[in-house]
Amino acid sequence: MNRMEELLRAFRNIADNPKAQLEKYRAEGKKAVGCMLYFCPEELVYAAGMIPFGLWGARTQAVEAKRYLPAFICSVLQTTLELGIRGAYDGLEAVMIPILCDSLKGMDGNWRYSVPHIPAIPVAHAQNRKTEAGVAFTASQYRKVKARLEEIAGRAITDADIRDAVSVYNARRAVMRRFLELCARKPGLLKPSERNAVFKSSCFMDVREHAGMVSELVALMEEAPAGEFKGPKIVTSGIMADHPNLLQILDDLGYAVVDDEVTHESLRFRADVPETEDPIEGMARQVGNIEGCSVLFDPEKNRGKMLVDLAKKSGADGVLLVLTKFCDPEEYDYVPIKRMLDAAGIPAIQVEIDQQTAENAQTLTALETFRGILGY
Amino acid sequence: MDDHIERKPAKIRLREIAEKATQDAWEAKLRGEKVGWCASNFPQEITTTLGIPVVFPENHAAGVAAKGGGQRMCEYAESMGYSSDLCSYSRISFAYAALKECPELNIPQPDFLLCCNNICNCMIKWYENLAVELDIPLLLIDIPHLDAFPCDEDRIRYIRAQFDDCIRKLEELTGKKWDEERFKEVMAISQRSSRAWLKAVSYAQYTPSPYSGFDIFNNMAVAVVARGTVEAAEAFEQLAEEYEENVKNGISTFKAEEKYRVLFEGIACWANLSYTFKTLKNLGINVTATVYGPAFSFLYDNLDELMAAYSYVPNCNVFERELELRVNDAIRHKVDGAIFHINRSCKHWSGTLYEMERQLREKAGIPTVVFDGDQADPRVFSEAQYLTRIEALVEIMEENKRKGARK
Amino acid sequence: MRDGAEIIGSAVIPVGTGTSGPARAMEAALKDAGLTQADMDVTAATGYGRNTLSEAGHVFSELSCHARGAYWLFPGVRTVLDIGGQDAKALSVLPGGKLGGFVMNDKCAAGTGRFLEVMARILDIDLDTLSRLDLESQECVEISSTCTVFAESEVISQLSKGTRPEDLAAAISRAVAFRGCGLLRRLGLTEPLFMTGGVARHGGVVRAIEAELKIPVHTDQRAQLAGAIGAALMAYDKITREGE
Repeated sequence: MNRMEELLRAFRNIADNPKAQLEKYRAEGKKAVGCMLYFCPEELVYAAGMIPFGLWGARTQAVEAKRYLPAFICSVLQTTLELGIRGAYDGLEAVMIPILCDSLKGMDGNWRYSVPHIPAIPVAHAQNRKTEAGVAFTASQYRKVKARLEEIAGRAITDADIRDAVSVYNARRAVMRRFLELCARKPGLLKPSERNAVFKSSCFMDVREHAGMVSELVALMEEAPAGEFKGPKIVTSGIMADHPNLLQILDDLGYAVVDDEVTHESLRFRADVPETEDPIEGMARQVGNIEGCSVLFDPEKNRGKMLVDLAKKSGADGVLLVLTKFCDPEEYDYVPIKRMLDAAGIPAIQVEIDQQTAENAQTLTALETFRGILGY
Repeated sequence: MDDHIERKPAKIRLREIAEKATQDAWEAKLRGEKVGWCASNFPQEITTTLGIPVVFPENHAAGVAAKGGGQRMCEYAESMGYSSDLCSYSRISFAYAALKECPELNIPQPDFLLCCNNICNCMIKWYENLAVELDIPLLLIDIPHLDAFPCDEDRIRYIRAQFDDCIRKLEELTGKKWDEERFKEVMAISQRSSRAWLKAVSYAQYTPSPYSGFDIFNNMAVAVVARGTVEAAEAFEQLAEEYEENVKNGISTFKAEEKYRVLFEGIACWANLSYTFKTLKNLGINVTATVYGPAFSFLYDNLDELMAAYSYVPNCNVFERELELRVNDAIRHKVDGAIFHINRSCKHWSGTLYEMERQLREKAGIPTVVFDGDQADPRVFSEAQYLTRIEALVEIMEENKRKGARK
Repeated sequence: MRDGAEIIGSAVIPVGTGTSGPARAMEAALKDAGLTQADMDVTAATGYGRNTLSEAGHVFSELSCHARGAYWLFPGVRTVLDIGGQDAKALSVLPGGKLGGFVMNDKCAAGTGRFLEVMARILDIDLDTLSRLDLESQECVEISSTCTVFAESEVISQLSKGTRPEDLAAAISRAVAFRGCGLLRRLGLTEPLFMTGGVARHGGVVRAIEAELKIPVHTDQRAQLAGAIGAALMAYDKITREGE
């Protein structure tokens, strides 16, 4: 096995074993704070000397969670609550809960009664996130979060700590953008499941460790010959595209994911935090610079324009819209986004993903068929 | 009022006020004025002060569903590519924006959109799509869900900034001018309306209740569309007077023996209103508590409190405060049980009801049942399930009565 | 099929994949043709069980197969509505029989053959009878639920109120038809429309779709074989091209 294969295997191993990662950090004497989807002020956790752990549900069944959530709440939250109730998250000092979608708004209450031993820290972001008043509001909420984190960490978080964290996180974002660019430039170098692991593993690692591994991978990708990829190239879009069955199908059918507009993947890394005098203000501004996510106010549907651009620039044959089942924001976006893709002549299909379901026969059929439609 | 001039009953006046609000918007549209589509819990003080005509797609969707057009309109939206998983109000609205007309009920098409997400973030997605589809401006007042009660200073500051920004943008958009004196007037009238509404609703604390609980679903339309008007204030005051009279005379608009009193949690099933109501009536069940009493009473003594008031709507407040409202209502209005509508269209509301049901049962000491339904899509409701659940509740309430177990 | 031109043997076994079904279907079709597996130049599989049939040298997605098979049964078809036992699909077909776009149903039994099976059981009649009963409907009754379970209770309620089975049969057909029409509208319908899948044999549903869309719904008594026909044709294409 060459070094690149070793690294990719390591990423996948980390992505698939978050609990082992948590135990590793705790054994090192570090504390960890859970961060529910979609965006959390991770830099503040890091500035306090703690590790942020991304909570995006899991491939499992919600049983206990159904005492709190009707069946039509999305599986990401069903399984997140389930893991909380089952004790899978024991070891986390607290969980941050953004209120970016309706189901998350209720999560704070549901969590406090079902997982009382892990404190919940609600995080409010301004939806009018680009205005001065919006930035000021988001910053004020981040300061509240900071105060809670200080209590948990048992130490103060200074502005210098935060500036340092921002710098480290921006450096990781930069190397992730190089990774994105290489995936587009050299399709087929990484299988879809391997590409996903680089993103997913970021949820369970110290940012510096992750950045280090990605840097090494990026150097190897740069060296590797471009090769001539003869398979279908797609751009994925949605909240998450990490369902093992979906990735297996994409791998088996020989797809290359050349770029993405997926919240769990590239959207967390595209926009840097501006380095401002007040670092929390910079963090608040960054939220205004994130585009392409269905839970962030987007009256001009920049998401659609961005997706069309991504598809064209990356040389993709088509777009795969990955719909998280029961996700209202995604379902609303589908209609205008699909129309924009159709107008631009970009073939696109939508597949539905559900973390509580191991396999979806429709997904295989749809992706096989799509490959045929794309001419492969 | 002169004694020899007979007043129309309050409910007729209220219906006329609601109809007139839409009629006024039509006339404004015909005159060439810009008309907006507005979220139900958007600060109406802004549009009323500026004198800007707006109509309410949520009310429109409810009306369409009540008149039997819910399924057809939802299916049309689904043929446009909208998932049947989405809020049925929004699906009906998308269909209406595309079709431009609807035999059940018509409202003028919008020239701009006023969105407020205090009730849910789906409002944002809904209005985003309308803005792009119709290529019209969208103004959003973002009211972040509370993480503590009362509303904190940071939220108030943020809401206030958006409130002011919205006023400026609307002035530019419509050419109308903000008038501080008029604003004070509107605030005073709105307070008067809110107090009168709260007072009217509160008469359900008497046994028997002087009104049929389902009347609230009809009367509250005015609380949404016209609470900044003197007409609304007067009509609600009259409603309160009528209920006071009923209490004195021991009569009610509930035309059956009130054997049981319940709290009804959730939005009405507009497309199945008759069945849901008649089933209760036939069993002698009157609704004496709903969240819509406090929901539409925006009470404030200053601007900061006005901003905060819009964060206290159901769905925006912290869980404990929402529960407290229900518990207090259940106790004050002496309910024997509670019925929870798990509304398929509203994930936000339904996503907290299971825990709320358990805690209400415990804290108010009453039996509860849930049923599945939808606010405007008749396909998501089972008469058999509803009847079974209500009958089960009756059995328990009856048993409790026999044991004299009402706390 | 022989030479990509005619059907020489066929069989339909009403059981799912993962059972003895596929083997029995293969056996019956070969028997019908008077041939054995050894006589086959190429075997292809499509549908849910396509990856587990050991005899299949090729597998194809059933969407492409249904488009191709429908085109063979009805040359010039532009839209195909395939309603099977557990799912429903609308396909747009390009000139020549190639698949253009597609829309599949939500993961749900309502609007599929399964729904009809459940309803037939409640009415205590067989599917065949159910498919013709709507012709004697006199009154328009509605079953509105999108959920099969809810619809079941609606039908039972109606029966207990004395609603005629003929009227319910028409309502049931309409319910399935509406789901199918929903898919067609999402896809964008171009005539001519051809129906495939087992439910194409249910006259009530076909009539209801025609009434709803106000266009003719073409079908063929071999429509349930459309997927298999398409697979055979696509396999034939493969070996003749490779032979060249």
